Amino acid sequence: MGSSNIRDVLTSFSPNLDLFAITLGDGRVKIWDTGKGQVQTEFADLASTETKSVFGNQEGGHLSMDYTCMKWFSLEKKKKRKLGSSLLLLGTGGGDVLALDVAAGQLKWRVNNCHPGGVSAVSFPAHGSHIYTVGADGMVCEIEAMSGNLLNKFSAASRAISSLAISPDGRMIATAASQLKIFNSTNHKKLQKFSGHPGAVRCMIFSEDGKYVLSSAVGERYIAVWEIDGSKKKSGSVVLAMDHPAVFLDSKFANTGDADDASLCVFAISEIGVCYFWHGKTIDELRNSKPTKISVASDDEVLQKHKGGIPNVFAGKLQNISMPASGHVFLAHGLLIKPTFEKVLVQPGTDLQLSVSQDGILLPTSKSQKSRKTSHIRNEVTALDRSNIEGALGPVPQMHDLIDGKSEAKPVGVKEKDELDTVTLCMEDQLRSLGILSSTDDALSSTLVSKYLKGINLDASTPQKKVKATVLSLEPNDAFDLLRGLVDVWQSRSHSSKHVLPWISCILVCHSGFIKSKEPKFLDSLYKLANAKAPAMNSLLQLSGRLQLVSAQIDKAVNNKSLVSERDDEHEDESEDDDVDEVVYGVDDDSLSESESDD
Amino acid sequence: MLTGGKSFVSSPPAFSNDAKRLLVCTGNTVSVFSTSTGLQTCELEGHEAQVTSVIVVPATNPASKFLCYCWTASLDGKIMYWDFAAPELMKTIDIRFPIHSMVIPSLLHQRIDSTGKLPDLYAYICTEDAKQEGKPSSFGIQKCNLTKSRLVGGVTLAETQKPGHVTISPSGRYIGTCEKRKLRIWEIPAKDSEHVSYKKIRLHHTRSITTMAFHPNERVVAAGDVTGRILLWRGVGREAFSNTKSSNGRLNKDGEDRPGVRDGDDADSCTTWHWHSSQVNVLFFSSDGAYLYSGGREGVLVVWQLDTGKKKFLPRIGSPLLYFINSPDPTLSSISCADNQIQLLRMPSMEILRSISGIKLPSSHMDMYEGFGSVVVFNPTAGLIAVPAENYRVQFYSLFDDREISQVQICERNHQPGDEITVKVNLVALSRDGSTMCTVETRLPEEGIGGLVTLKFWACGSQKKQISLSTVIYEPHRDAEISCIAFRPTGNMAVSSSYGGDFKVWVRRHELTPKDETVQRSGWTCHAVGSYKKKPMSTAAFSSDGSVLAVAADKVITLWDPDRNTLLAVIGDSLEPITNLTFVGKSEYLVSASASASRGSKDSNPQLTVWSMSKLSATWSYRLDTKAITCSMGDSTFAVLACCKPKGSAEESLQCAEEMILLFNVEKAAPLSVWFVSKAQGGGLSFVSSDEDKVSATKAADEVLAYINGAREYVLLNPHCEQETKLNISRQRGFANLDETDTHGYASVYGALPEFSLKTDQTPFPSMSSGKTWKDIFSGPPHTLGPLRNLCSDFLESLLERRSGVVE
Repeated sequence: MGSSNIRDVLTSFSPNLDLFAITLGDGRVKIWDTGKGQVQTEFADLASTETKSVFGNQEGGHLSMDYTCMKWFSLEKKKKRKLGSSLLLLGTGGGDVLALDVAAGQLKWRVNNCHPGGVSAVSFPAHGSHIYTVGADGMVCEIEAMSGNLLNKFSAASRAISSLAISPDGRMIATAASQLKIFNSTNHKKLQKFSGHPGAVRCMIFSEDGKYVLSSAVGERYIAVWEIDGSKKKSGSVVLAMDHPAVFLDSKFANTGDADDASLCVFAISEIGVCYFWHGKTIDELRNSKPTKISVASDDEVLQKHKGGIPNVFAGKLQNISMPASGHVFLAHGLLIKPTFEKVLVQPGTDLQLSVSQDGILLPTSKSQKSRKTSHIRNEVTALDRSNIEGALGPVPQMHDLIDGKSEAKPVGVKEKDELDTVTLCMEDQLRSLGILSSTDDALSSTLVSKYLKGINLDASTPQKKVKATVLSLEPNDAFDLLRGLVDVWQSRSHSSKHVLPWISCILVCHSGFIKSKEPKFLDSLYKLANAKAPAMNSLLQLSGRLQLVSAQIDKAVNNKSLVSERDDEHEDESEDDDVDEVVYGVDDDSLSESESDD
Repeated sequence: MLTGGKSFVSSPPAFSNDAKRLLVCTGNTVSVFSTSTGLQTCELEGHEAQVTSVIVVPATNPASKFLCYCWTASLDGKIMYWDFAAPELMKTIDIRFPIHSMVIPSLLHQRIDSTGKLPDLYAYICTEDAKQEGKPSSFGIQKCNLTKSRLVGGVTLAETQKPGHVTISPSGRYIGTCEKRKLRIWEIPAKDSEHVSYKKIRLHHTRSITTMAFHPNERVVAAGDVTGRILLWRGVGREAFSNTKSSNGRLNKDGEDRPGVRDGDDADSCTTWHWHSSQVNVLFFSSDGAYLYSGGREGVLVVWQLDTGKKKFLPRIGSPLLYFINSPDPTLSSISCADNQIQLLRMPSMEILRSISGIKLPSSHMDMYEGFGSVVVFNPTAGLIAVPAENYRVQFYSLFDDREISQVQICERNHQPGDEITVKVNLVALSRDGSTMCTVETRLPEEGIGGLVTLKFWACGSQKKQISLSTVIYEPHRDAEISCIAFRPTGNMAVSSSYGGDFKVWVRRHELTPKDETVQRSGWTCHAVGSYKKKPMSTAAFSSDGSVLAVAADKVITLWDPDRNTLLAVIGDSLEPITNLTFVGKSEYLVSASASASRGSKDSNPQLTVWSMSKLSATWSYRLDTKAITCSMGDSTFAVLACCKPKGSAEESLQCAEEMILLFNVEKAAPLSVWFVSKAQGGGLSFVSSDEDKVSATKAADEVLAYINGAREYVLLNPHCEQETKLNISRQRGFANLDETDTHGYASVYGALPEFSLKTDQTPFPSMSSGKTWKDIFSGPPHTLGPLRNLCSDFLESLLERRSGVVE
C-alpha cells in the first residue's frame, strides 16, 4: 500500500465477471463480488491447513505463501449457468501449483514442486480441460484441470521462462523469456522464434484468431505484436507505444459476419494503472492508431484523504466490441483494498477519466464527508411542500385567451400566451392584408381613441391592480368617455380585446352608477355587442381549437410520414366532436354580461 | 430461457454430514451452497414441482462422513435419491400424490441387523389426496417403503384438513405433527416393517399450536402457539410408550398431581414460557438437550436454558424466523428468515457468519394493507428489477445474474418485524435509463390525523449503486393518493397522476445556489398541473418519443402535450375505469386496459383496447382482464398478462381462472403466442434488453420477455422464439405449468372468450357539403356542429368565391 505501482498485484476476473480475485502479495486471496462490491470470501492459511496433517512442523500462516501468478479457469460448460465449474489457479514462488474451488471455498488440488524455483505463468486454451504452467526450470507442464494430474512435461528452454500463452484453439503454445518461442502443443515442435525483447516478457497473449502474439517485457514501454506465419525469424510487426510498461494485456477480435468488418482491439494496463485501448481494422491500421486512455482522476485532496494510496485501475477485461471501434471494458479500479467495479464504454479518441468514489474506504459512509469542507460538487436534497405548484403551468384549453384576458382564472405562462396569440390572430391579419378589413378606419379610430386613453397603453397588458387604480382615479365623465372609446376599439379591432376587456369591465364595475344614470342605452348596446360577439367567437374558438389539434397531430406525424398525416387528420375529426368542446372552460362571455346585469 | 428469483425459505434446508454444504430447496430444484463462502456450488435438477423436503442421509460412522446422499420429496409426487457431490440422480419413487413433508426415521437409528443386510427403509410422508372435484382435498400421513419403492397400503396415521409439517425426534424414535390445538405423537418401532402397530398419544392445548420439537434424549416435547407461548411437556408418554406396563405405576400416577397437564394427556408436567409477543415459528433443542432455541415473528432468536429457564438473545435479525437447523458441526447452524435469507451462525456465540440471500419475498403485511406497493418494477435497459421489500427498502436484483445488486432505504425508519405498520411504500418507478427512481410513501393516519403522502425523487450514481435522494415533495396532490408515476423516455420529466383528479408534470432543474457555487441543486419542480373534469386520474404514460402524454381520467383517455400542457384530444369511452396505459414502441398505437376496481363484482367488463393515435379511434379490443402490459421498444409488439375467467360462475372463477401471457402485434388482433402461467396475481411483465454475453441462448433477439409472478419467481423467455425454444420452456418451467403450443393456446383463448370481438369501427361520418354562409355554419350550440372536416371545408368554401360545380 502506498505505492502507485501495481506490478506486484495479482488480479483475475471470474469467467462470467461476477467475481474478482486479488492478492496483494501477502498470501491472502480476496474474492470480491463485482455486483455488490463487497468481499465475498477470503482464502488465507490455505497451505498450512492442508499440509499440517502431513508435516506437523510446517511453518504456517498466510505469509509463507508467495503467489507468483493467478488466473481464473473455467471448465468446459455443458449447460448454461452450470455452477461449480470454475477454478482459481495459483502458482507459487516455491514451485507449487494450486487450484481453488472458489464456490465451495476449498482447495481443489495441489501439485507440489511442479516447477522447482517457482511457477512463473499459468495459462489455458479457451476450450478444453487442460492447463499449462511454466516456471523457472524452463519446463512446460500440462495438467488435467479437474484432478490436478500431471499429463505432460517438456523442456522449452534451458533457462527460466517468464511468460506463457496458449492460443484459443489450443494448438499453439507460446513461451517467452527474452526470446519468444511458439510450439505446437501436440508434438511440442518449435514452430517459430521471435527475438527482440531486451528483458523477460511479463505478459503475453494470443489474439483471438490465433494469428498474432502480443507481448510486453519488463521495463519496456511498448507492446510488440508478432505475426505467426511460419517463417523462420521475424521481428515485431507492430509496436504499440505506452508511457509505462504494461502489466496486463487483453485483445478481442471483433468479427461481425463478413471479413471486411473484422477488427482487432488491444487493451493494456500499465504499471501505474492507466488503461490503453487500441483499435484497428487491419494490422496496419492498428499500427497507426492512437491509444485511448482510461485513468482514474486523482487530485491532491484525494491523495491526502487516502493517506498516500493512489486510486488507479488495476484490472480489466475486454467484454465485447459493440459498435465498430468501441468496446465495453469491465474494470476494477479505485483503491486496492476497496476496488470499485464498473463497465465502461471506450470510444476511440475520447480519453476517459473515472471518478473516484467518495465513500469511506471500507464502509459506505456518506456522513463522514459531510462534516468536511469539500470542494467537490455535492447534491442537496430539495424539499417541496404542499404549495409545490407555484410557477407551474395550468392546463391550457384551446383559445381561452380570446374570450377575455382574466388571467387570474388561469395561471398561464406568458410564453404560451404569446404563442397562442400568434396562432389566433393570423386570420384577422390575413383579412387585413387582403384588404377585406380596411385599415384606414382602424387608424382613424385609433387616433380618436388615443384622445381618451391619455397614455393608457392598450397594446400591452396591464396588471389588474393598475387598471383598477387608474380607473378609480378617473372622473366619472372621463371614465365614461374612456369606456366609449374602448368599446369602439373593441368593436373595430378584435385582436385587442384581450387588453381592452379588462378596462371595460373595470370601468363598468367602478363607475356603474354613473353610467347607468348617464346613458342607460349605452349599456344595452354594449350588451348587444357582447352577445353578438359571443356566438361567432365561440365557434371560431372551436375552429381554432380544432386547427390546433390538427396542427399538433401534423407536428407529431410529420416525423414519419407527412403524406399520411394529412389523410389521418381528417379522420380524427370525425370521431372527436363533442369532447373537444368540453375542454374550453374557464371564464367565458357570461362573466361580462353578468357584471352588467349585476348593475 | 432463464429462471430465477427462487425462494430459499419455502422448506427447511439441510446440512451435509461434513457441514461444508447446505442443501436448500429452491423451487423445483435443490441448490447446494458452500457454508464457507456462501456461494452456490451445484444444483439438483429433476423435480417438476416445488421441492418440499430434503433429508441428508446421516453418517453412521466417521468414515462415511464424506458420503453425500440425500432424499428429496416434491409436490410432483416423487421422492428422489441423489448423490449431491456429483450431482447425480440415483433413484426415483413415484407416489403420485403431492408430498408436503417427509421424514425418514429409520435413517437415524439404522443398524445392520444380524443377517448383515439392511432392513427396508420407511419414510413417513404427508400427502395430499385430491379425491373429488369441488371437495377440499384432505391430507394424510402415509408410510412409504423406499427400498421397494411403493406406498405401504392401509397405513394412514392421521387425516387432516391442512397440510402439516411432520416433525421427527433427533433419535428417530418419535414423529409428531401439530394440528390445530393438539399435538399427535407416534412412536416408531425400532424395527420398522410394513405391518407394525403404532403407539400414539395426543397432547392438548387451548390455543392453536404452530410448531413442535422433540428433546434429543429425554421424553420432553416443546410446542409453540400463535400467542407466543412455549409449552414444555416433560415425561411425555410415560404410560403409552413405556414397554413395561405396570398397573401399579398407573395407579400411583393417578394420585400424583401433574401440574399444567390437561386431563387425560399422557405427560408428567407441563410448563409454559412466555417471552414471544407473537406467533412462535421456530423451536429446536440443542443436540445436548440443555438448551431450547425459539424464534418467531419478532425476528429474535431466543435461547432458553432448559433447567433454569434463563434466556439469551440474538436480536435484530430483521425478519421473521422460519426455521432453525443444526449442523453436524457443533459450531455451525443456520436460521432461515422470511425475507429469503439464510443466516449461518457460529454457534455458542451466535454470531452471523455469512448470509445467503435471494430476492425479497412479498410479505404478509403487503397483502394486509391495501395499496402497499408490492409490484416489481423493471429497469429494461440494465436488466434490473426493483423489488419493494417489507423493511421500507427497495432491492435491486439482477435478472440475468439472479442475485442482488444493492438495496436502498426508502424512508428513514427502523423496521421491526411484527411492529404495526405506520408507513407504507405505495409506488416505485424507474426511468428508462435507470438514472432516476421515484417512490411514493404514505404515512398512515392515526385516528384519522396525520396521514401524509410523500413523493421522492432519487438520483442514481454513475455506477448505479449509489442512489441518493434528490427531491422530497410532501403532499404532492394534496391529500389524494398517487395512482401512477411515469417517466418520459427522453429528458428529465415525470408525471404523477392522482385519484384526486389531477396530474402533475415534474421536471428536473439544475440550479447553482448563489451562495456556494459548488453545491448543485438538481431538484425536481412542478412544471404543469392538469385535470379533466375532476375525474380521478388512474394511470399515465408517455409516448416513446415523449411528445404525447396520455392520462387516463376514469373511463376516458386524455392526450396532452407535456411541454405546453395543452390538452390535445380525448379518446375512448370504456365501460370500466382504465387501469393501464402503454404506448406501443415506435408505432402510433396506444394500448389501454380497463377493469373494475372492485374484484369479484359480477358484471365487470374488463377490456383491452388498442387505439390508433393517428385516427384517434379504437382499432381492436378484447374482453380480457389485464393485469400488466408491456411493449417492446423496437418493434410493434406488446405482451399482456391476462386472467380470463370462464363464463358465468363468478365465485369459482377465482380458482379456475386461467392466467396467461399473450403476445400481440398491434396490427393484428390474433395473438402471436400464448404462455400459460400460474400465480400471476401481483406479477409483472416487461421486455428487457438482453445482454449478449450472458444470454447466449437467445442469439438474435435483442429483447427478451421477463415475467415475474406473485411469489417473485421470474422467467426470461424469448418472445420471438422458434418451436424448440418453447419446448425448452415447458420442460424447465415448473411454477408456470406451461402446457402450451401455439395453436392449443389460441384455441383455448377462443374457448374462453366467446365475447371476442374484433372491432374495426371506422365508419366515416356522413359528410354533406352545405351551401351556407360562414355565419350560418357556426350558429347553434357546439354539439350540434358537425365534425371539423365538414366545418372546415364549409367555412373555407364560404370564404371563397362560388364557382359553378363542386371542386372535388
